[in-house]
Amino acid sequence: MTHATPEDLYAALDHFRAKVNENQRLRQMNRDWNRDIAVVAKDLPDVQAWIRMRAGDMEWERQRCDDPHIVLTAPAEVLIGIFEGERTPTEPYLDGSLTLRGSQEDVLRLDFVSLMIWGE
Amino acid sequence: MKRVLGVSLGSSQRDHTVQVSMLGEEIELSRKGTDGDLGRAEQLIREHDGQVDAIGLGGIDVYFFARGERYVVRDGLRLMEAARVTPAVDGSGIKDTLERDTVQYLLHQTELLRPTTRVLMVSAVDRFGMAEAFVEIGCPIVFGDLIFSAGMPYPITTLDELADIARRILPEMAKMPFTMLYPTGKEQEKEGASERFQEYYDAADVIAGDWHFIRKYLPSRIDGKWILTNTTTAKDIAELRQRGATHVVTTTPEMAGRSFGTNVIEAMIVALSGKRPEELGHEGYAQWLRRLAFEPRIENLQGGSAS
Repeated sequence: MTHATPEDLYAALDHFRAKVNENQRLRQMNRDWNRDIAVVAKDLPDVQAWIRMRAGDMEWERQRCDDPHIVLTAPAEVLIGIFEGERTPTEPYLDGSLTLRGSQEDVLRLDFVSLMIWGE
Repeated sequence: MKRVLGVSLGSSQRDHTVQVSMLGEEIELSRKGTDGDLGRAEQLIREHDGQVDAIGLGGIDVYFFARGERYVVRDGLRLMEAARVTPAVDGSGIKDTLERDTVQYLLHQTELLRPTTRVLMVSAVDRFGMAEAFVEIGCPIVFGDLIFSAGMPYPITTLDELADIARRILPEMAKMPFTMLYPTGKEQEKEGASERFQEYYDAADVIAGDWHFIRKYLPSRIDGKWILTNTTTAKDIAELRQRGATHVVTTTPEMAGRSFGTNVIEAMIVALSGKRPEELGHEGYAQWLRRLAFEPRIENLQGGSAS
């Protein structure tokens, strides 16, 4: 198995952004959801990624998010799998390889977002 | 005497035990809440397995339904499988019949429900039969499954879309801790009013579905609206009266002054029949419900003529 690189993670985030933003129903569902999400790859400590959800739009930057509403922490392979739609967040969340820190409602909503996208 | 135990993830403040006579049989119905503690619920079930005639699982679903698809809730199944000898049921065996019949009863036997009545159904995948019954009579309806479980301001207005969203989300969501999906324990005792999602309450004539979801974002005023739900306490009724609701209709009957969830009623039927739930099946439950001749309980909260 090859190790994931920062570029792999950034490409997965680009893919995720495209899928979120092209889904009109999801944009409507998230029109009230303005959140900052920090993405932390445990095995890529130099990588910084900040997802911004604003009125249904998603953007992300290679930048540290200082005051996030949600912190998403996992090995890069897990994060890439989720952002690429190759795996759901449920199993890594339940087996502890993915941790989500934030309010229960935000965590649940992030799960809904990924499931709505990859069920298309 | 037959003994039925309801084990609920809900608040222990709602615990009660009554003895009733049904079709000539004496039955003790007891409800024990575990304040959201799944482990304690599992332990209670193990302790009473083989000691009572049937166990009802409350405050949790074992199955969600949408358009012929059944989704198994992992935590619910864990509780059901904790009972190895005594049959354990979650109410889904009778909900479909009982709640469809309730909608038909309200349409034909009361002035409350008309095909033009606007319905907010706070969650439909836990009572799909009721959802279908409202749609069949033509009521404009909003299914609030995303609003009330995930806080997403997205009203679902057709059964097709409900089934589509359920197909995408429920196979995975049903694996999550049930406490993430539904208010349990102390969350059920929260007081006060909410303005969040008030527009959906305002736009409806009837608020239908699970009481704890209805209560979750209940605005300070719901004048002129009526409620169709499962189990309520005297405190719940007083709160609805104070906020201006006209009627509360509960699908399960009052027995010895208390209302019980569908899980306890289903467990009672299993105990009365002496059969396993899988032997009873849909038709078996329907036959027992006809024999028991339950009618919905309609409480007029503001005085005046009963509808």
